[in-house]
Amino acid sequence: MSVSNRIRRLRFDHGEMTQQQLAERIGVTRQTVNAIELGKYSPSLETAFRIAAVFGVSLEEVFQFEPNAGQK
Amino acid sequence: MSFREKSAWISFISLLLAFGAYFGVVGHDLVAPGEHHPHYFILFAALVVAVVILEAVLHIIVAARSPSDAKSPRDEREKLIALKATRPAFYVLLVGSFLAIATMHLGAHVWQLAHAVLFAIWLAELTRFGTQIYLYRRGLSAR
Repeated sequence: MSVSNRIRRLRFDHGEMTQQQLAERIGVTRQTVNAIELGKYSPSLETAFRIAAVFGVSLEEVFQFEPNAGQK
Repeated sequence: MSFREKSAWISFISLLLAFGAYFGVVGHDLVAPGEHHPHYFILFAALVVAVVILEAVLHIIVAARSPSDAKSPRDEREKLIALKATRPAFYVLLVGSFLAIATMHLGAHVWQLAHAVLFAIWLAELTRFGTQIYLYRRGLSAR
């Protein structure tokens, strides 16, 4: 299973928000935001909700669950 | 690169170079039977102090270049990386400790046993920081 996200697109659509700005608003480092966007880290539920709240959208609009992705 | 990742690199390289050199110097005496060499304790203590000072200076330099990053507490990803890195380090220390005990049964002198334990601790710390660096680079995804 795999979780993808549209954070980069949402940042662009919200005044070209930088990773640093998003990081400060959700309480993580810029590197963690970058890792989330690249799929290298799956955030906690709380952080995921914080990201959605920053953009004013639902969780599903930020993160998408792909049950069969990445399976061998 | 975040401050915490740089910190892991500083610790890894400092330990690798300083104590790698130490075990390189004492290695021959460790495996060859012989009497105790008390000056090795002085050398080891001096190296510990040198590494502490070196790491402190390097951390101060890195922190000065990005003070906000250095001052901020560990976030959830950094905490998880630190936690995950302890597991392989523990196994290295566990195996190393048992091997060190085995040297005793093979007739090792007490200072050889002490160095075997120190060697296991050194490898465990290298494993801990090395694993942190690996996880910072590769990520924590389950893929």
